[in-house]
Amino acid sequence: MVKSAIYLVLILSASPAFAQRVQGQLACKPTATDFIYECTIRLARGGQPLSGAALTVGADMPSMPMAHNVKPVKAKPGKAPGEYEAKLDLEMLGEWAVKLRLAGPVKDQLILHYDFDEKGAQPVIRSGRPLRK
Amino acid sequence: MDDYTVGVLTNIGLISFIALSAYLLILAGEMSFGQQGFFGVGAYVAGVATAMYGIPLPVAAAMAMGAGAAAAFLVGLPTLRLRGLYFAMATLAAAEMLRIVFELIHFQREIEGDPVGPDGTQGFRGIRWVFENGVEPEGYLAMVWGLLFGVMVLFLLVERSKLGTTLRMVGEDPELARMLGVHVERFKLGVVAAAGALAALGGALYAHHNTYIEPRNFDIMLGVHSLAYALIGGLGTAFGPLLGVLVDIGVLEGSRVFQGYRMIVFGGLVAILLVFRPRGLLDEKVVHWLKARFISS
Amino acid sequence: MIFDLIQNTFDGLAMGASYALLAVGFTLVFGVLRRVNLSYGPAIMFGCYSATWVSLSFHSNVFSLLGITVLGSVLAGTYVERLCFAPHRQGSAIAAMVASFALWMQFEEVVTLVMPKHLYDFPPMFDGESLAFGPLSLRVEALVMLACALSICYALHRMLFRSRFGLAVRAVIDAPVAAQLAGINVPRILLLVFLLASAIGGLAGWLIVSTHTQVTPMLGMWSTLKGLLAMMIGGLGSLPGAVIGGLALGVLEAHSQWFLGPQARDLIAYLLLFVLLAWRPRWMTTQSAS
Repeated sequence: MVKSAIYLVLILSASPAFAQRVQGQLACKPTATDFIYECTIRLARGGQPLSGAALTVGADMPSMPMAHNVKPVKAKPGKAPGEYEAKLDLEMLGEWAVKLRLAGPVKDQLILHYDFDEKGAQPVIRSGRPLRK
Repeated sequence: MDDYTVGVLTNIGLISFIALSAYLLILAGEMSFGQQGFFGVGAYVAGVATAMYGIPLPVAAAMAMGAGAAAAFLVGLPTLRLRGLYFAMATLAAAEMLRIVFELIHFQREIEGDPVGPDGTQGFRGIRWVFENGVEPEGYLAMVWGLLFGVMVLFLLVERSKLGTTLRMVGEDPELARMLGVHVERFKLGVVAAAGALAALGGALYAHHNTYIEPRNFDIMLGVHSLAYALIGGLGTAFGPLLGVLVDIGVLEGSRVFQGYRMIVFGGLVAILLVFRPRGLLDEKVVHWLKARFISS
Repeated sequence: MIFDLIQNTFDGLAMGASYALLAVGFTLVFGVLRRVNLSYGPAIMFGCYSATWVSLSFHSNVFSLLGITVLGSVLAGTYVERLCFAPHRQGSAIAAMVASFALWMQFEEVVTLVMPKHLYDFPPMFDGESLAFGPLSLRVEALVMLACALSICYALHRMLFRSRFGLAVRAVIDAPVAAQLAGINVPRILLLVFLLASAIGGLAGWLIVSTHTQVTPMLGMWSTLKGLLAMMIGGLGSLPGAVIGGLALGVLEAHSQWFLGPQARDLIAYLLLFVLLAWRPRWMTTQSAS
């Protein structure tokens, strides 16, 4: 009983981020330049907006995961609490896995799938079928 | 070092695992379009182990390697007597079957109110071992390259030993090997399993670096790319595949001059390079020359 | 239920006809070169995208687009042959195949640079209703595809066995060294066969995109995979095998998808290939082109 209590304390102290996971949402507007988007990211944790996070935004294409590295950009705090802004420069349109990396004070990483076209970014609702003919 | 550079260097290390895996098989005389399947097996097994059952990463990685070796063994057993293209197609079919299996697996547990686990084509999110254990990107980079270094040392030791000679002999002239008493089929099966384990280790590390994997990550593109890196870098030494990966991801990515045209440039370079050096940059002749010049007899 | 089976078989045969054409192209190249061209599908995709670009910039008849598709595929095929297969003719097979993969990457990037949307519309072959035979429906495009596959096969057969060119091709397939010694210009024959295969591929591509009325960058990998699968199921290196393999693959896929869904469809096709390769029945090892 004492042993498991000590064990629990040790685990909890070694993993500060064990608490609730961060949720995120993306809204993007195209700019005058092709493939560059102005994006607003909303972060929340446990239902509350999460402010003050050091957020870096990157993107990857699901197929051939390390081929289309988009240079990650540091997001600036946005207007509302829990909102951040970043300019994404993608090499092409299509489905991207947007990588939100939080460096502090909460450390976490979120991957969100969005389909980028001329109008902006739509979240991808997978129907259980890969994009193949 | 900024986050981006750390990420690129980690990716180079991760892909080197699967490139080395393809290279090992080429040495044994087999061309495989399927190593990405074992990469995927490693990724899923290790991810499930750490994210769903709290197993520490080293143990999970070992489990992944075992699974990769077993899967490769099962694929190799009926197919190793196939020649060249037939074997390549069989490995391709096997890898695609594995990928489709990943698409069909829905296996999740509730951990702290969130479902965690592979969810078919939606992928497997939340492999957060690095966050749960406070591992910084630089630390993970060191771990990946540390393991890669260990693998390279193993390769170099093998290449200088009788095992290495046997390996290349089995690849170049199996009849000769058979006459010299090597049980070629069993040997090749061992190589296939080792290559599978190696790819699986890479996959396990990839899963924890990315914190998210999906079946599409493990498609044919990855497999043919890894074969290409092994061939371009050169088949003379284990540094060859590393060089191949470096050339593609490192140089062209880092320079950013070729943004958007990277594949056109890289593809053209590869094709032209292969015309002049069909066994890659560091092919056996170059390695022999380097050894003669720099390593006293 | 029985009508479902028949309908699926029809649909499968139609899809299979395009697979058959793709497989025929692969087989021609494999037969003379003993190499697999991983850029086969991407070259076809290049042709289809060229045609799509033309159709977006000018008002074109869908049949003239056929000419553009074939032309584009042949141009791309020439590029591939010159850079990947001609230099390695006496050399390493892996090098040729990896080089062809490198060019695949090039084609994909070129296409997505010039036309970056994920999906483009392609004009349909026919704009009308499907034909109806009682409870079964048959698309006109399906009949066209089947007719094309069968007539190409027949034409190839005639060419191979009734023409001097065909004789030269068969000589190169059966005994390349002897053919060279007999005065046949082997490199030129290889190039011509390659171009022929690309042209057939272009036709297959046009049939596919005008039936589905859309073009995506996935077309390259998809055609390569289906062509390879069909060729190997039918027996590597055999033209009739390629056609039968293609049709069989189409029917198998149609039935699998109907009863078990799209993932099972692909899984079963690959499983079939794996099993066939592992157990290698005698009919799979024909190496001659006919």
